[in-house]
Amino acid sequence: MTEYDHVTDDIEAVVEATELPARLKDEVYEAIDRKAEETGEVTVEQATDIATGVENRYVETRVDPLDPVGTVSAQSIGEPGTQMTMNTFHYAGVAEIDVTQGLPRLIELVDARKTPDTPMMTVHLEGEYATDRQKAHEVVWSIEATRILALGDVSTNVADMLVRIDLNDDTLLERWPTHSDPSEVAGIIAETIEDSLGVDTRQSGTVVEFGPNEPSYRELLQLVERLREIVFKGIEEIERVVIRKEEIDGDEEFVLYTEGSAFGDALDIEGVDASRTTCNNIHEIYRNLGVEAARETIIDETKNTLEEQGLDDVNVRHLMLVADIMTNNGEIESIGRHGISGSKDSVLARAAFEVTVNHLLDAAIHGEYDELDGVIENVIAGKPISLGTGDVDLRMGSRVVGDD
Amino acid sequence: MVDVSQHELVPDHVLLDPEEVDEVLAEYDVTRTNLPKIKRTDPALPDEAEVGDVVKIVRNSRTTEEAVVYRLVVS
Repeated sequence: MTEYDHVTDDIEAVVEATELPARLKDEVYEAIDRKAEETGEVTVEQATDIATGVENRYVETRVDPLDPVGTVSAQSIGEPGTQMTMNTFHYAGVAEIDVTQGLPRLIELVDARKTPDTPMMTVHLEGEYATDRQKAHEVVWSIEATRILALGDVSTNVADMLVRIDLNDDTLLERWPTHSDPSEVAGIIAETIEDSLGVDTRQSGTVVEFGPNEPSYRELLQLVERLREIVFKGIEEIERVVIRKEEIDGDEEFVLYTEGSAFGDALDIEGVDASRTTCNNIHEIYRNLGVEAARETIIDETKNTLEEQGLDDVNVRHLMLVADIMTNNGEIESIGRHGISGSKDSVLARAAFEVTVNHLLDAAIHGEYDELDGVIENVIAGKPISLGTGDVDLRMGSRVVGDD
Repeated sequence: MVDVSQHELVPDHVLLDPEEVDEVLAEYDVTRTNLPKIKRTDPALPDEAEVGDVVKIVRNSRTTEEAVVYRLVVS
């Protein structure tokens, strides 16, 4: 061992003889080396004490061999789950935004739904955007979807077959902070309307008028309907943004909470801190940040859901196990018939879970085999399961105590 | 485009040399395909990663300081 000056061959032999994994052995070497640096020397006896001390702690904290960790986790999350609220909606602690909580949220997470019931993002800001209210609002306007009704009044003139929009000067300047002339902004809006509705517009000041290409009463009403849907600024999916001042690590900064989420788009917006912004849709996290970040989010979200209900004594290791299993094959898999449980090798295990007949029928048609290695298969077959004491063979010697 | 690796939810992904891979497999006594997987298209993967490579991921763990895991790159 050349890396460590004070680790002799004898010490190395002692450490190598322990049951520790390679990374912990390295740490033991480092610790011995550091100690020797300070005190001059570490004897083999001292090194043995250190190594066995670490080994004992390591062995103690290990899960016992053949312990059914999955079953224990399922119980440990399932029992507190029975105490959770069945109410889907109520306002969450932060920012008056409706967030699904309790059991429905937990189910949504382990089912790996494509979109959550109430998608939301927590947008952190960078630099002066985080401290200056004006700057923070700029980001709000580039995230929140701005539709025509927020900008002014729309009236229909049936006699002349015209739709007339009276835009509000102050609102325009507020939402387009880079422009100083309201009619300039009105021009942008008129252009957007032309592009999306395919009609010609007339603009004078902040008044925009347009009508159907062919005079038709129905057409006119439809134009108004479609006009309401156009997003002039911001991200279509984001219905509402709430801005809050929060204290983070001793500093006050503005944090935005959004109703609706478009994680990828939000990260690209100027002023958004792309290193801290998160959202509650695990699939959006997966697409934009990868499977490891998705795993992290599953743990966070399940943990927060439980904590919100006062069930914070569920050990995080159970949630980590769930997240590990859900992300094991490189993408998010749900727990259940369409995911983990449905992809088991054993026919009997799958049949025991849900839709029994279909699985048995398919298995019969395809001539599937069952190796009977798993737990469920052996319960069905009435054999000892390969877990805990069920998988230990006992061997006895013939020597009588005190015989030597 | 946003630099994904800067996000606090994304741990470091490091590509392993073939020798290092053998060491890891020997230590845990597993085969390559036993490892958890990561898609080739995963945004957090280093660009030069190819199918069949193994990445080492150093997570900020909730239960210990750092947790090291390995994932096999799959298509």
